[in-house]
Amino acid sequence: MPAIIVALAIVFGSINPNFWSVTNLANVSRQVSILALLSLGQTFAILSGGIDLSVGSLLALVSVVCAQVMREFGLVEGIAAGVTAGGVAGLVSGLIIARARVPAFIATLGMLVAARGAALTLSGGLPIAGLPREFLVLGAGYIGPFPIPTVVAVVAFLLAHVILSRTRFGRYVYAMGSNEEAAVLSGINVAKYKMLVYVASGLFAGVAGVILTARVISGQPTLGEVQELYSIAAVVIGGGRISGGVGGIGTTLMGVLVLGILGNGLNLVQVSSYIQNIVIGAIIVGAVYVDLARERRQ
Amino acid sequence: MHLRTLNRALVVTAGIAILGCGRGTQPANEATPAAGTSAPAAAPAAEPVTEYARPAKPSKQYRIGISIPHLANPHYVGQAYGYIDEAQQLGAQVTLLEAGGYEHLDKQISQVEDLIASKVDAIILAAISGPGTVAVVEQAAAAGIPVINVNVMTDSDKVVTRIRSDDDVIGRMQADFMGERLKNGGNVVMLRGAPGTSWAEIRGNAFRKQLADKYPSVKVLGEQYSQSTPADGLRLMEDFLQTYPQISGVYNGADSTAVGAAQAVKSAGKAGSIVMTATDFQIDTEKFIRDGVISASVLQQPVTMGRWGVRAAVSYLEKKSVPPVMFTGLMTATKDNLDKLDLTTVRAPAGWTPPVR
Repeated sequence: MPAIIVALAIVFGSINPNFWSVTNLANVSRQVSILALLSLGQTFAILSGGIDLSVGSLLALVSVVCAQVMREFGLVEGIAAGVTAGGVAGLVSGLIIARARVPAFIATLGMLVAARGAALTLSGGLPIAGLPREFLVLGAGYIGPFPIPTVVAVVAFLLAHVILSRTRFGRYVYAMGSNEEAAVLSGINVAKYKMLVYVASGLFAGVAGVILTARVISGQPTLGEVQELYSIAAVVIGGGRISGGVGGIGTTLMGVLVLGILGNGLNLVQVSSYIQNIVIGAIIVGAVYVDLARERRQ
Repeated sequence: MHLRTLNRALVVTAGIAILGCGRGTQPANEATPAAGTSAPAAAPAAEPVTEYARPAKPSKQYRIGISIPHLANPHYVGQAYGYIDEAQQLGAQVTLLEAGGYEHLDKQISQVEDLIASKVDAIILAAISGPGTVAVVEQAAAAGIPVINVNVMTDSDKVVTRIRSDDDVIGRMQADFMGERLKNGGNVVMLRGAPGTSWAEIRGNAFRKQLADKYPSVKVLGEQYSQSTPADGLRLMEDFLQTYPQISGVYNGADSTAVGAAQAVKSAGKAGSIVMTATDFQIDTEKFIRDGVISASVLQQPVTMGRWGVRAAVSYLEKKSVPPVMFTGLMTATKDNLDKLDLTTVRAPAGWTPPVR
């Protein structure tokens, strides 16, 4: 997978040298930061043997809540409310999955539809403008040469890596995804940790939603369409197994980079956006096929 | 294997890329002043320009990046034709990107960022959202790349110029038509179009105000925003007809909702008894006007918008002054004048398809 990323970069760079410019690299990293954050949450969900279809819609709900609270009460309050809204939505999904035993696919599908509806209801379908200009820094600002959304995404990756590899919660996520029955039998409180998985996914979507809101300095109820599918794609392209238990932060990072570089690179070398979709679709399936073929050989 | 797929895709598009790639990367050493300072020094509250001739062909081949909301509507296909044909006349190279619909603001922002990164000489933007595109427009301006707003405006004073129809007039023209037809009073519903766009706001508000001022006996029962598609128009109109059986008029901010709404009105057996007004002139709109389902449509000139956008970009890059606001013309189509309209400024020539989408 790293070889493919390098190859993509070389191809795009040779066709349009601007691909390698500092502006563009900052650009790519800023563009993928939203997908990166969503994919982190998705990694938790898929690793644990579930899935979170709601993350795209959560972007819209978070954006609207964040903008409305910010306009009423101020910058920090708005950011906090946005992240919290993501977490609360995740908690609701988690409760439905863990306590009511509704399959994750169904529960989060319901949340996908409901969260979009909530975003449209709260906003009346209209974008919410008039946010403080300082908020723009979070979406467009830099720390040294690094765009702030990129920095946030990197910190989130490190945090997620620590959680998955160093904590009991992380080990249980893998255990539940590998074999849920075994996890139950070995005394893991599966319901509790399942719930936490979706809270985590919601919180990552909350952070992503706040940053995206800053990028567009307005609350937008139509944000995030089909992003849930890209986040799933990012998890599996890198080598995460769709049924759970296999994968991690590293493989998700690969997937995010492939999708991000493809999207940006194809724009830079002027491939039509319709053809881009065909290429991306083929790569999603192709990457997973190659992965499975290798696994079978071993 | 991935690479082979990718290479093939690249070859295919290279074949249809406009005007070849040429020397892709002439440095944009225009010493361009930060955009926004280009307005003519005099005339602070300048009247909007309504004529804009083609400037002389520059010696240099400029690279112009264009981002439009989508190409699923003949309005934007006409505009795309205007951009591309005018660019050919002026020897400019065009990169035309479409975001796939008014719901893909994040995609449009990424596209404009990519245009900035590829150091185009100028950017033409039909904004998906007025407030939503402010940051990226200011980013372009900070990078010294002038941004021209066409058709749908960004809420920023950093744009070089705003080229659009006078949306206020479009709303008033529909209100006048509706008011005259419903002289003895009526009940109107409004399909406003895409939420957060300058056109849906201004046209709809002007329609409401004109009705209230001049035709107080015509009441607005309800209004809905939606994506600008026939499917949305059909769904909303069916629901409106259930909610308010007494509807006697339908306003449409765009004809993409109107062709759906017309279908709903026709299916309900109310064709001709409900006054329907629209904006723009896709083939289905023309057909519904001919059949007497849609009563009138206000025609914008998307081809002209596209042409003026490229003219403004080239003029600015050639350091000529560019008027800050320009209005392209309007006309009304009804069943009576359908065959007499000059559509060269409205539609792309039959059979023309945008080379790069």
